Amino acid sequence: MISLVRNEMLKIVRKKRILIVAGIIAVLVALFTYSQYRDLERRLERFGDVDWRTTVQQQIIDMQNRLTSSGISDEWKSELQLTIQQQQYYLDNNVNPMEPGAPSFARMFAEHSINLLLPLMIMVVAADIVSAERTAGTVKLLLTRPVKRWKILMSKYLALILSVSIIVILFGVLSYLISGFVFGYLGWSAPVITGFSVAGNELNTNAVQMIPQWQYLLMEFSLVWFVALIVGTITFMLSVLIRNTPAGMGVMLAALISGAILSSMVASWESAKYLFMINLNLTGYLSGQAPPIEGMTLGFSLIVLAVWGLAALVVSFAVFIRQDIY
Amino acid sequence: MKKYSVGFTLFLSILSLGLMLVGFGWTIQNQFLNNGTPSAMEQAKPVEDKTTNDQGSKVIVALGDSLTRGMGDDTGKGYIGYLVDELGDKSKEKITIHNYGVNGYRSIQLLEQLRQVEIQRKIQSADYILITIGGNDLFQSGETMDLDEKKIAQAKAGYLKNLDSILKEVRTLNESAIIFHIGLYNPFIDLNDSELTTKIVRDWNYDTNALLDQKEKAVYVPTFDLFQLSVKDYLYTDNFHPNAEGYKLIAERVSSLITW
Repeated sequence: MISLVRNEMLKIVRKKRILIVAGIIAVLVALFTYSQYRDLERRLERFGDVDWRTTVQQQIIDMQNRLTSSGISDEWKSELQLTIQQQQYYLDNNVNPMEPGAPSFARMFAEHSINLLLPLMIMVVAADIVSAERTAGTVKLLLTRPVKRWKILMSKYLALILSVSIIVILFGVLSYLISGFVFGYLGWSAPVITGFSVAGNELNTNAVQMIPQWQYLLMEFSLVWFVALIVGTITFMLSVLIRNTPAGMGVMLAALISGAILSSMVASWESAKYLFMINLNLTGYLSGQAPPIEGMTLGFSLIVLAVWGLAALVVSFAVFIRQDIY
Repeated sequence: MKKYSVGFTLFLSILSLGLMLVGFGWTIQNQFLNNGTPSAMEQAKPVEDKTTNDQGSKVIVALGDSLTRGMGDDTGKGYIGYLVDELGDKSKEKITIHNYGVNGYRSIQLLEQLRQVEIQRKIQSADYILITIGGNDLFQSGETMDLDEKKIAQAKAGYLKNLDSILKEVRTLNESAIIFHIGLYNPFIDLNDSELTTKIVRDWNYDTNALLDQKEKAVYVPTFDLFQLSVKDYLYTDNFHPNAEGYKLIAERVSSLITW
């Protein structure tokens, strides 16, 4: 089994997929770092100092003013109210919500990429893991070996899990190393507030805890990893089901993008919360964002994702074992 | 070489997987299994530091309602923006402005806002404090003006009480800053009942002025006369908020009062 997995890893490494993904991430991180840097400069110009309290207070005022304009939707309104309360909480406790430094950048970047960018990167690796062998015909060579079919598929899946893990870690390491170039590499122990919960329009701060940033990052990246794993598994299933790699990728792309769009407008369609793509924003629960649909919690999303992942896995194996290969 | 890179990738990915599994397990434990532990919130007490980074520049804190915010000015500057322009022309001194105006604020909301730590901190470091408040107490947020005498008297009593508390609060925070309170104009001066509305606004302003006279280093800045003759030219299309020109008038007036 180990040599099978090794063999599959070899294929992934040979295709240079991980390198490509790392390259894309590096370029994007550089871009975001630059934009953050510009933002910092602009703030310095506007307020005369970069005291975070000045910025946060101004953000609160800006949001309060946005609340008073008549044309905004109820969802947006309650989201703004929550953010205001949260920012106020940061101010009241004298905790910088965005301590400058590479760890904060990595945190912010992961929060923003969890529901679209990172799943796309995972797709790059996962989409053709089975279907490419079928298009190329090499799957026949694999299946003529005296190895059970499920073992072959399992070795592919394990290789996928390993690649997903390394991509997530690469993601964190690259964003840390590259952004640290500009923002400095410190800030691991800066306090971060987590545990906000949302009840209607009110922000519940009872269960709030303050933890050092490295702990928060560990939690956050493990959630990112979980999402990446589930997305990888579903893509894996599509790769088994659909011979044509671009078609499989298209389906997955459509699902992911529709998820990103839907998240902002499904508040009134309650059963949408069982769709996997609505549940991808796990880190939002840590930072205390309002969930896309009221009543969704971290536990709920984890279970929904796990069920989707398991189902995808079962389908993949059931189909692959019985499929006629010609 | 190739063999080596596979082994290396394999090794790293197994490490990554391990780390993520640990992290995930810990997340589950942290989020679901340790309810009720009093949070670490206690240990990290806010650090009290009074250092202001605004040293070497004049600090202006603007508080109040939509007039402070600049509603109605297409460039979004408001009188605060024009004031900064004017002061910039007048002197070389570096000016830092903090605009905390919120549309629709009434005096009671401003009083509540003053309880926020960061607002207090900024007031402490201010050289000048500009306030526009009362417009929404008197005119129901720009809609109409209730001409019922009793209601107006009630609104005014509440407003004066709040304003008094606001001024006291600001004074406790900052003994030396000069407070400017920008008075009201009558946006309805061109409409029916202008005599009545004018009288109401004048009385309102008079009482505000009287209150400010009792305070030290507090200046009442009238705007009534600015808008008196050609109110249409200086009002925004909502016929309530000033337009850019109107804001410029207010800014000129305030700027002539600020000296350093």
